[in-house]
Amino acid sequence: MSQTDPNRTYVESTIIMTTVRVVVPFVFTFGVFVMFHGAESAGGGFQGGVIVASAVLLLAFAFGIEPTRAWLEGPLAQIAIASGGGTFALIGLGALVSGGAFLEYPAYGFGTDGVKYGIELVELGIGAVVSGVLVSLFFSLSQGDFQSVGSGGANSNSNGDGDAAGGERA
Amino acid sequence: MTPVSTSLAVVLTFAVLAAVAAILLRDVLNAIIAFTAFSFGIAVSWILLAAPDVALTEAAVGAGITTVLFLVTIAKTVRPGGERLFERIAWRSVAIVAVLVGALLTTIRSLPAVGSSEAPVATSRITEYYLQNAYPETGVENVVTAVLAAYRGFDTLGEATVVIAAGLAVLLVLRQEAYV
Repeated sequence: MSQTDPNRTYVESTIIMTTVRVVVPFVFTFGVFVMFHGAESAGGGFQGGVIVASAVLLLAFAFGIEPTRAWLEGPLAQIAIASGGGTFALIGLGALVSGGAFLEYPAYGFGTDGVKYGIELVELGIGAVVSGVLVSLFFSLSQGDFQSVGSGGANSNSNGDGDAAGGERA
Repeated sequence: MTPVSTSLAVVLTFAVLAAVAAILLRDVLNAIIAFTAFSFGIAVSWILLAAPDVALTEAAVGAGITTVLFLVTIAKTVRPGGERLFERIAWRSVAIVAVLVGALLTTIRSLPAVGSSEAPVATSRITEYYLQNAYPETGVENVVTAVLAAYRGFDTLGEATVVIAAGLAVLLVLRQEAYV
């Protein structure tokens, strides 16, 4: 379709932007639901984290990768990765402090409710890790140098994959 | 054949055809789309085999995120010249693959039938233990989650650590300055 500049793969589309604007809140909510509801139904932290990350990826597809990266300015993904892993490890260590074995939820002394909420927190931590890693992987992969590939042959189909406008590179 | 095994046969045929297409298609973009179709077929077959947790993972990771990561990566590659749609087939590789597949196929006869009540996983004492004790001990209704996060919590912590380590390693290699 519109391939005016081979180094620029992002094509603004009203249809895609409107669809994504409507769909993303539901995708994000579903991802968090899968994370939380892993104890009662299919799902869990890994799956929910991937779905949450895909909400961010949808935004990047619709509005361009650079604007989305700018919108998520700050160490949000790093904080998610660190706090997710930290939550998991702290829950394990907390059981140790409470006189049980590592990750022995009953040691907290809240009965099966305690076990259940411990599991929910662990799932949330896993979800934070997975979504943080995937979002930062996506932004890093899309940040490569299009100019050095050589113009003309770049596989820049109209699937909106990648925004070559990124100026700052390592 | 039961309805489930019929639909499973259809879905697996679709998955195999998609996998062959992913191998043979010459354009990387076409191959990625075929690979996504393959993942989708596998996800549906997990649902048919009553494994929704695995199906959700396959759909989200295999058909979803991996495709996107592949797409942003091939945006930096060069499309091969020429008009041919398919790769040339390397018959020697095909022969090796055929031998390997043939060797693996001979083991199929010793697998229990799908859904068989005689299967080791159904008769195992460990399965019995989890099914009877998971809910009273953890208050979690999904036994898969109970096993992953409670009984095998340490393994899952290891998995999360692997995700963190792999993510950080790849991000370091990709040299995003924020991570260096």
